Amino acid sequence: MSPLDWAVLIGTLLFIIGYGTWRTRKAGRSLDGYLLGGRQTRWWGVGLSIIATQASAVTFLSTPGQAYADGMRFIQFYFGLPLAMVLIAVVAVPIYHRLRVYTAYEYLQTRFDRRTRTLAAGLFLVQRGFSNGLSLYAPALVLSAILGWNPSLTVLLLGAVMILYTVSGGTRAVTVTQQGQVAVIFAGMATAGYLLVHYLPPQVGFTDALHLAGRLGKLNLVSFDFSWTDRYNFWTGMTGGLFLALSYFGTDQSQVQRYLSGQSITQSRLGLLMNGLVKVPMQLGILLIGVLLFVFYLFQPAPLSFNRPLYEQVMSSPQAPQARRLEQEYALIQQAQQQTATTLITARHAHDAAAQTVAEQRLQATQAATAGLRTDWQALVKQAAPATDAKDTDYVFISFVLRYLPQGLVGLLIAVVLSAALGSAAGGLNSLGSTTLIDLYRPFTRRQLPTEAHLVRVSRWATVGWGVLGIGFALFAARMENLIQAVNILGSLFYGTILGIFAVAFFLKHVHGRAVFWAAAAVQLATVLCFWLTDIAYLWYNLLGCAAVMLLAELLQRLWPEPAKRALAPV
Amino acid sequence: NDARPPLLPSWRAWYALVLLALAAEVALMVVVTRY
Repeated sequence: MSPLDWAVLIGTLLFIIGYGTWRTRKAGRSLDGYLLGGRQTRWWGVGLSIIATQASAVTFLSTPGQAYADGMRFIQFYFGLPLAMVLIAVVAVPIYHRLRVYTAYEYLQTRFDRRTRTLAAGLFLVQRGFSNGLSLYAPALVLSAILGWNPSLTVLLLGAVMILYTVSGGTRAVTVTQQGQVAVIFAGMATAGYLLVHYLPPQVGFTDALHLAGRLGKLNLVSFDFSWTDRYNFWTGMTGGLFLALSYFGTDQSQVQRYLSGQSITQSRLGLLMNGLVKVPMQLGILLIGVLLFVFYLFQPAPLSFNRPLYEQVMSSPQAPQARRLEQEYALIQQAQQQTATTLITARHAHDAAAQTVAEQRLQATQAATAGLRTDWQALVKQAAPATDAKDTDYVFISFVLRYLPQGLVGLLIAVVLSAALGSAAGGLNSLGSTTLIDLYRPFTRRQLPTEAHLVRVSRWATVGWGVLGIGFALFAARMENLIQAVNILGSLFYGTILGIFAVAFFLKHVHGRAVFWAAAAVQLATVLCFWLTDIAYLWYNLLGCAAVMLLAELLQRLWPEPAKRALAPV
Repeated sequence: NDARPPLLPSWRAWYALVLLALAAEVALMVVVTRY
């Protein structure tokens, strides 16, 4: 990175965070102000905050690489999201707003009892508390490999900045900084997309690029072939994807807190609906960048592996002679591919259907050969570096940025990745502090009527604690690839149970606390057993867990009836 | 304050807009995929 890139990167990040911290310097004067930004956020602020909390750095590093390798079928995963936004806007938002709760779990005490609330809040804290630091670690790992940074130092620096502004201004600081972060993200990605088209050969226009990508199977947007094991088809998106979105946006405090800070039911609803309208086109745009990268590398030499440090490791291993042979073969196929792609575009412009068909078939053959060589390369990596993941899709986009973008824009695109990491992790951290205070500290404290200043102070220390724990865990987990995977799996194992508790609360009004608590505890245990004993895809745990909690709670309520509470318990 | 949303006559119209947008996006994607 050049000095100009460093200036753009540091200047962008410092300006956004500095402005957000300064704007919200008085937010800690009241509990409402600190935890929910005084409930003053307008619909667009709510919407941008929801988008920024969901879009982590992985979204911008991995998604283009995924489209580069596998086409655009990943988009189907998001088909259930707009429907989930509508359902949450109809059902959950009015209830949360009218009860004026700080957290989603607070509502569970009003509806059921304290132990059900504590169970749901506890599951959230365990899952989010351990995974939050990893959303900083993932981009730090990729950037470190490419730029030669120290990954641990990168995480520590990012984490310290995030803790500082989240603790300082609470939810309002997170929301205001997220607005700047989203602006940088959209500007950076739009610039990268424009330059990608601009860098294509003069005779290849945008529609030509789409034609090439389509003919090579990269515009495989929708499939109606259902499969239990392949999550990228229409039916899985509309069921598994729907339930995942319901769990994440309806019951995960890191998202619920975004729309609880809305000025009114109207503003919160519109914020959610904005996300429902924007999310699919936004993901399409990010995937399109990956497809354009694929076309770009039809005309430019692509490396055998985009993960440069791994490439160098293989080239200095005993497998190096085989790797060099593979590389020479790869270069020859790439030359043939470039010529064939040019021939295809020329035939397309001349409306020569016969020549076009021949060129398409040749291009598909070179693609198959390229894919075969990349598979051979991955087998070599397994021999040379058995502990390393041979997949390089996370490195495709960032490698292009560093190699082809002009000075200054490289800094902007790195700022995009780090902004996404900070925005998403700050949203999670902020909700961990709130939930600890509202659902664990306040109901159990022996203090008589603690003051607002005391509660804000407790929330701030809880935020610091979760921040330090998250970063510490990420640095510890970095030594074990399996542990990172385990944490990601942990989230999907808890979501179904939590969604089930909320579904009973919203829709089975005659079921009371005792039935739902034991149903949730039993289903959570069964889910963990299922995970060990079966190979059901993680995505289905949300749907199955939710349905099981509802059925079992209904059954327990009938077999073991509990009278309705005489009065609402104090929250 | 929440009985009538801005821009559209009712909340149902807003929900329909979101779901229609999704349907239109999916339909367009199906056309591209089939083509």
